[in-house]
Amino acid sequence: MRKRGAPKYNHHDLKKVLIANRGEIAVRVARACRELGLSTVAVYSECDRTALHVRYADEAYPIGPSAPRESYLRIDRLIDAAEKSGADAVHPGYGFLAENEAFAAAVGDAGLTFIGPSPAAIKTMGSKTAARAAAIRAGAPVVPGTEQPLADADIAGIAASIGYPLLVKAVAGGGGKGMRTVTDPSDLVDAVRAARSEAGAAFGDASVYLERRLTRPRHIEVQLLADAHGTVVPFVERECSIQRRHQKVVEESPSLVVSPALRAAMTSAAASIASAVGYTNAGTIEFLVDEDGRFYFLEMNTRLQVEHPITELVTGLDLVRWQIRIARGEKLDIDPARMLTPHGHAIECRIYAEDPDNNFLPSPGRILQLRAPAGPGIRDDSGAAAGLDVPIFYDPMISKLAAWAEDRPLAIARMRRALDEYLVAGIKTTLPFFRWLLAQRDFHDGRFHTTYLDEVLKARNGVPFTEASAEVEEIAAIGAALQVMLSPSASASAAGCAAPGGPQAWRARARAEGLRGA
Amino acid sequence: MQYEVEIGGRPRRVVVTRSGGGFAVSVDGRTHFVDAARIDAQTMSLVVDSVPPAEHSAARPASPGDRRGYEVNVALLTGAGELQVHVGPVPVVVSMNGRRRWGQKHDGHGAASGPQKVVAPMPGKIVRVLVAAGDQVSPRQPVVVVEAMKMENELRASREGTIAEIHVRQGMSVEAGALLLVIQ
Repeated sequence: MRKRGAPKYNHHDLKKVLIANRGEIAVRVARACRELGLSTVAVYSECDRTALHVRYADEAYPIGPSAPRESYLRIDRLIDAAEKSGADAVHPGYGFLAENEAFAAAVGDAGLTFIGPSPAAIKTMGSKTAARAAAIRAGAPVVPGTEQPLADADIAGIAASIGYPLLVKAVAGGGGKGMRTVTDPSDLVDAVRAARSEAGAAFGDASVYLERRLTRPRHIEVQLLADAHGTVVPFVERECSIQRRHQKVVEESPSLVVSPALRAAMTSAAASIASAVGYTNAGTIEFLVDEDGRFYFLEMNTRLQVEHPITELVTGLDLVRWQIRIARGEKLDIDPARMLTPHGHAIECRIYAEDPDNNFLPSPGRILQLRAPAGPGIRDDSGAAAGLDVPIFYDPMISKLAAWAEDRPLAIARMRRALDEYLVAGIKTTLPFFRWLLAQRDFHDGRFHTTYLDEVLKARNGVPFTEASAEVEEIAAIGAALQVMLSPSASASAAGCAAPGGPQAWRARARAEGLRGA
Repeated sequence: MQYEVEIGGRPRRVVVTRSGGGFAVSVDGRTHFVDAARIDAQTMSLVVDSVPPAEHSAARPASPGDRRGYEVNVALLTGAGELQVHVGPVPVVVSMNGRRRWGQKHDGHGAASGPQKVVAPMPGKIVRVLVAAGDQVSPRQPVVVVEAMKMENELRASREGTIAEIHVRQGMSVEAGALLLVIQ
């Protein structure tokens, strides 16, 4: 019979998918399932009972308290929910257990189909040092650095041989956690200690390695799909250099700096790496591109990426649909040349419940009103809704707003138009920050790199992104006064309680106060 | 009806009276004629003019700037006891000190004088305390790092001063609103 960890590809009869995630990505996966005629099972922690993904799915199972360790990271409870519901497949989304080989193996051991790569591929590419070794075997260029996790005693000597500035990186890392930049050798010991402590807390693995820090590189990545029959299809690149503290903030496709020749080289390197590890399903190879247009393998993400919508917008392909089709054994029969030729341009902004005017501190709380933009070329992948709390327990992303247009200038104009249509009331969000960023000359000209945003933010030194004009302040004063005067119960309704009646009740109250003739 | 409306630390006197089918609203003496239409409990559509609607006529057509439309959304901002007023896309934080008070008044945090209290904005764990009692700090200097929502968040001094009290140490768990340190 099947060996542990060996993928099963004979599940042409998938009927019900458990989505082991929450928020926007759980909704995104459920949408693809619905379009394929598959029924969906949501799981939820205590604070997520009313979350959008629970309301969207056909069935829902509680999996424990709000803290991720007690719910969304509990393999036993997820498998239990899958078995109780009679699901035959599990989609992990991104984050949580999406790149956890033990979870993928547990799903397989329970006789279920894991919609993602094999546990072995997750393990190999999840270790940054093993992934580097795989890339080298596949003939792909890598950033100069160490191939093995390091002992504290060896680090100073190896650091000197790599040269400064360098990066201390967690072997199990991701999303900038467990990573430190060291410019001055005297900071090395502290940086290693900090990276180890962060990595240990975040990933349960405190091992670190060193890598040379390229100056002003761009982060450019290649999405790919691979089926169980040996076909690997890479996609036109995504440009993800706009980052704050190593977290992607804006992504776009294609990149302004990738020529057809560079695209051909990067995508073929990506496909070679995936083939070298026998990769299946959706994955992304991340590269750094230096100022001379040389590219270096950075790491592989063995899952669906947050920013997958922009690839879908410029290729017209549904990546999640294909994840499911690959998992049930179908052959990739898409035209590879078409996937390398972008149709138009797409941009995505990750809208967060953070206060950009207070050092991007999380701003959890209740969303009192939410109006998402619409119209030509706009896509909003959201897990938020009016009346819902942004919980303190999880990543505070509210939505991924994407704009598509026939060219980049129009895509920027569309995104700015959509940002101005987006209303999230009751909490602070990064919308004002994006309105500022997309008005920057550097952004329009494509003059940025992975530390561009951190440098610009540092130079701004806390100048507010929302600079209301005198006119806007005056209208705000008028609006606030009218609201208080005309809606005696407005503070209750503003606090999220249902306001009885709507316009008619409001008029009745106004009449009762003698403010407006009947 | 008269209100004191504070935006960006500057109070404005707002007087609202009925006028025709709408309102005459004066802000620090400048009068606007406002046609307010309710959209929902938090949202109004305002059409704002510098003259009463009746004064528009064929003989005196509207000039640019007249009859300007705004969508205004008024919500209570989580945690702050202040109003968040969106004028179109632009959020403006507003304090009302009028006859009806919305929520409690802000407690001096971030004010221009008096001790500055640094409080935890959310439940979390103290990762690092970056200052010691007696340290001089400058505006926007990070003073404590709190881990919450899976991220390390630096809390900063809002202005210069001396660290007078420290109530936390590394590794402690804190609740939302917990007093972490005081800058004198």
